[in-house]
Amino acid sequence: MRTYFDRVHTWGRISCVTTICVLFLVPVLFCIHYNAWPPLDGVLKGLAAVVPLYWATAVAEVISYAPLLGAGGSYLSFVTGNIANLKLPCAISAMDSAKVRPNTEEGEVVTTISIAASSLTTTVIIALGVLLFRPILPKLTAEGSVFAPAFQQIIPALFGAIGASYFIKQPKLSIVPILAGVLVMIFAPTMQIGVLIVITIVVSIGSAYFFYKKNWV
Amino acid sequence: MNFKESPFMYGLAAMVIVFVLAQSIFFLVKAWKQGKKLGISAQTMRGTVTNSILFSIAPAISVVATVIVLANALGIILPWIRLSVIGNITYETTAAEAALNVFGSSIAEPVQDPKQFSSIMWVMTIGCIFPLILLPFFLKKIQKKIGHAAQTNAKLADVISAAAFIGLIAAFIARAIAGVGTKENPTDGAGVLSVLTLIFAILLMIVLTKLCDRFKLKWLENFTMPFSMLGAMGMAILLTQWLPAAWLIEWRY
Repeated sequence: MRTYFDRVHTWGRISCVTTICVLFLVPVLFCIHYNAWPPLDGVLKGLAAVVPLYWATAVAEVISYAPLLGAGGSYLSFVTGNIANLKLPCAISAMDSAKVRPNTEEGEVVTTISIAASSLTTTVIIALGVLLFRPILPKLTAEGSVFAPAFQQIIPALFGAIGASYFIKQPKLSIVPILAGVLVMIFAPTMQIGVLIVITIVVSIGSAYFFYKKNWV
Repeated sequence: MNFKESPFMYGLAAMVIVFVLAQSIFFLVKAWKQGKKLGISAQTMRGTVTNSILFSIAPAISVVATVIVLANALGIILPWIRLSVIGNITYETTAAEAALNVFGSSIAEPVQDPKQFSSIMWVMTIGCIFPLILLPFFLKKIQKKIGHAAQTNAKLADVISAAAFIGLIAAFIARAIAGVGTKENPTDGAGVLSVLTLIFAILLMIVLTKLCDRFKLKWLENFTMPFSMLGAMGMAILLTQWLPAAWLIEWRY
């Protein structure tokens, strides 16, 4: 008997392959339509600059986010992107208010619904934003606009709100990774956030395991 | 003829957007049906949808802002497509910049040559596609391992998954406390404003959660997180208006 998870993986695999095809259709159709095939060495040089970091980050992201996002949630999130700043917080928030645990079938259903709703919202808002607000938006986010500080502070506002419930429930687990992150920032101020996330997650899981073994949590 | 914003480009965007929407709807319907089978109440699932929609609005608007920023060099359609699929603010900006640097150009100036433009398309596409190649091969294995561990030791599994969430959140909090901005921009590094926004978001969340518990405000439960986030962003605006000089102090740039 195929479980719900088995079916999700089948749909997910099909959707990954179709997404790859759709994504490659964009440059292929453009090149055919405008007869503008790019110089190969230009593309290769550009790729050399971004691929090593991106592909390494991709491996780290799949390993660290996938268990948190659930199966359906992972397939959807990795297609629509903006995982760390949008899909993951959204899924955490949804599991929190629905009172379900990750890695259960209920958790799987709730994260999938949450990430699907989030993807739909984001896609629609980006489309509307592009089509309707194009003339206004640069003014909103431009330096010196009244609203600019709100957009610049979106990260502390977002992660303060998500973090709060964890800090209350798990104060002991929270201190070590935050301190580790701050220390890393002090000594390696230019570190990419993608690398920092991997460090804090490893430190956090390591220290939590230690606390667990010592019966402190 | 502006090839960057031609009807043909709008057609490409429409194809991608319709595909992404269809996929999300497909997974939503399947999960909803499974939720019903598992006995999750329709109220809970509707709550999840409302919560997630509200939660996504503000970050989505900031994504639109990135699209607009990149539009200067690339026109509006390509950034729109790229940020709707796999897109991520930092990746896309860096990829476009890297590809343009090869031609001795930069995203500060509009791209004029269709061949340069198609090079950028290829670099952005190939650069971002790797997770979609990894998932079909490895996701099931990763999930099985986690699922198995979760069954054999529930308490430890809970601690570890909480720790993974906290680890992720900690990276962003650390950056709000001690991250480095640029000299030119007075508000992009850690400083009085980022720390106060962070503290205010945490406090607001605690207060709203307590209010929900105390007065049994079921409806508010879904809104505590988006409200705390928007409240803290609103406070950032008020603070900069009220005492700009003091609030804009950054300790690291």
